[in-house]
Amino acid sequence: MNKIKCLIMTLAILLSIGGAFATRPHFDCRTDVQYYFAGGAYNPAGKIGVNYTCQSSTSVCTYTYNGVSYIACQQGSWLQIPGVTEKTDKK
Amino acid sequence: MFKRQVLIECIAALLIMLFLYASLSKFLDFETFTGEMNNQPLPNSWTPFLVWFIPCSEIAICLALMIERTRLLGFYASLVLMGLFTIYTCIILFHFFSYVPCSCGGVIKRLTWKQHLVFNLFFVALAICGITLQRRKFYDSLFITNQKNSLV
Repeated sequence: MNKIKCLIMTLAILLSIGGAFATRPHFDCRTDVQYYFAGGAYNPAGKIGVNYTCQSSTSVCTYTYNGVSYIACQQGSWLQIPGVTEKTDKK
Repeated sequence: MFKRQVLIECIAALLIMLFLYASLSKFLDFETFTGEMNNQPLPNSWTPFLVWFIPCSEIAICLALMIERTRLLGFYASLVLMGLFTIYTCIILFHFFSYVPCSCGGVIKRLTWKQHLVFNLFFVALAICGITLQRRKFYDSLFITNQKNSLV
């Protein structure tokens, strides 16, 4: 029984550690400066959860700039958090 | 008896896989996880506490499930944590908050909120099965010990 127990536990631990490392994002665009598209122009979005949120939807929420063009980064629809200035000032 | 023990081990292993994978994914991409926590419709003042509390409690549950003496406690803790996640998912689905945030957590973030709910309910059911089997095992072992003592 102990052998089976050890085998099951070892398998579970190895699979979860391996899975976590395998699915780790190598590059995350969210660490770059985020922009949102409004009124025909790209504007700096600020900090997620502080200045804006991304609502669940299939459209593009924020973009990043690579020096040439703006590339879609986060999925969803962009929504400004009301009372941004007070919230940002506190931080 | 043997079949039940194997079943308990399998249930514990599945829960360990879930919690260990989820906590490691969060620690490996901590900055994104913090951003995703900020994106949730919860007060941002909770974020510094939640970003440490959630993955650390997941690791603590894994350890409790691995050790035979604390396994029942681990199953109860799994039920509580998965129950809380399920309640949160239901609140999101019923549009209780002003907006529906994007879901998060490793590969699991690819699930929609409805898929999340089914996923969570499956693990809640697993934790309940684990508690039932572990309690039955405990009472059976108590009964056997009592019988042995009465024979002596």
